[in-house]
Amino acid sequence: MKTDGVSTADSFHRAKPWRFLFRSPGKDVAQFILLIVVGGWLISLSTARLGYYWQWYRLPRYLFRIEAGRLVAGDLIKGLFFTLRISGVSLALALTIGLATALLRLSDSFMGRLLTRVYLEVIRNTPLLVQVYLLYFVIGPILGLGRFASAVMALSLFEGAYMSEIFRAGIVSLHKGQWEAAYSLGLSRFDTYRDVILPQAIRRILPPLTGEVISLIKNTSLVSLVSLSDLALQARVIAADTFLTFEVWFVTAAIYLALTIPLSIVVYGMEKRFKVLT
Amino acid sequence: MSEIHEDYIIEIENVSKTFTGGVEAVRGFSAKIRRQEVVVIMGPSGSGKSTLLRCINGLETAESGAIVVDGIRLDGDKRRRLEIRKEVGMVFQSFNLFPHLTVLENVNLAQRRVRKKNKASATERSLELLQMVGIADKANSYPAQLSGGQQQRVAIARALALAPKVMLFDEPTSALDPEMINEVLDVMKKLARSGMTMVVVTHEMGFAREVSDWVIFMDDGQIVETGAPESIFARPQEERTRRFLNQIL
Ligand SMILES: Nc1ncnc2c1ncn2[C@@H]1O[C@H](COP(=O)(O)OP(=O)(O)OP(=O)(O)O)[C@@H](O)[C@H]1O
Ligand SMILES: [Mg+2]
Repeated sequence: MKTDGVSTADSFHRAKPWRFLFRSPGKDVAQFILLIVVGGWLISLSTARLGYYWQWYRLPRYLFRIEAGRLVAGDLIKGLFFTLRISGVSLALALTIGLATALLRLSDSFMGRLLTRVYLEVIRNTPLLVQVYLLYFVIGPILGLGRFASAVMALSLFEGAYMSEIFRAGIVSLHKGQWEAAYSLGLSRFDTYRDVILPQAIRRILPPLTGEVISLIKNTSLVSLVSLSDLALQARVIAADTFLTFEVWFVTAAIYLALTIPLSIVVYGMEKRFKVLT
Repeated sequence: MSEIHEDYIIEIENVSKTFTGGVEAVRGFSAKIRRQEVVVIMGPSGSGKSTLLRCINGLETAESGAIVVDGIRLDGDKRRRLEIRKEVGMVFQSFNLFPHLTVLENVNLAQRRVRKKNKASATERSLELLQMVGIADKANSYPAQLSGGQQQRVAIARALALAPKVMLFDEPTSALDPEMINEVLDVMKKLARSGMTMVVVTHEMGFAREVSDWVIFMDDGQIVETGAPESIFARPQEERTRRFLNQIL
């Protein structure tokens, strides 16, 4: 289980190998098929050795069930919805925290810079798992935060720290002539950020920022450890109840991939377009 | 006495600027500039010309001395600094247009944000200014689609958007291909003839001769020599001025 900083560079790398599949289709399709065959063979080998009986037919009800003639979501899909919800809320908060932290770090305020430094160092040098527990068991009760709120806090404080670095890098990458031109026109610092700096910075940071969203989605699986019924927790419960260990975890992995791979493709597309534009 | 004082739109008195790291870019510089005057500043690279200009609109803070622009004294006060920036337009060597905004939006921005104008009235003035610099047909283009000379003319229009009383130019033509220099100088000459007060850092002798009232020759953060363009170019009094003029001729 990877609990510490899933940095941007890191998530880029992980997204990259399979991007090659899209280059020179013939060769890559062959490689892909080979990969599937070899992978399948290894899996069947290990399940055979374990004496594992595949029982895929038992799985669909955990995805969808028909009740009284209507389609209802099974526990895995409910978990997926929960994962989406906690990802969405945490993302909004993480973006806000990230931007605010970046601006504070770049401000003239000594206290502001000091506080943000401390925040960044603490977050980046402790495992997310510890932060989730700390917020749930210690800080949450003090502040009167519920389980969901403390999990969202942990995730968004964690991702906010990484996003703030991305925001900061995007902002300082702009030529200082942009600031000077805006200031020389009599624009305030606020207007300069809003109209000149951030619109340009955001274009540059969209790819790494999307990469961070992928990390965020993956990291939400940690909230199952404080008994929030996200996708990972549902998978754990179903696997324990039914002993469909392989089926459940394969499907769960596939669902996470279905969320993150489209985002990886978006990142890839943006990086390519950005290269053309600059 | 006070009437004479009113004559000067820029008063710089004993201004010094030392950068962190110890470079003394400007050392005890004083000058007074009258309304409608065009002053050209020349001097070797690193002599502090840009720093001096940037002190005048508060992009740099001089650590000693006094700068008064149109009766407003530049000190630590943020609001006064913003006031001065509305009165002083600046044109940079590298244009510094906002690449994500169209030409029109570049010129509109300060009117909308600083003067709180609505879009229609900002656009009206912007189009007039773009007309004046001869580039109205590019209003909806992006900066990257323009040549260097066109970009610099847009930058001039943008700096004029708030109807400043003073225009500062920091080597406005030195990043341009030779064939584009004149289209920018022509706009600047037109501006000078319209009565704009201008402080221009440039090595364009022709421009200095034609429109400037006087020339400041700077070296090492200080004034070496000042005078009317004809006399300073024809009969420089100081050895350093002579050497520099020989180099750029
Ligand atoms: N932000 C800065 N930090 C430190 N030193 C600086 C900074 N800006 C300028 N300087 C130094 O101050 C001195 C004057 O620089 P300035 O840019 O004002 O010269 P200049 O006359 O405009 O030269 P040029 O013709 O090359 O533009 C130089 O030695 C320069 O290295
Ligand atoms: Mg300079």
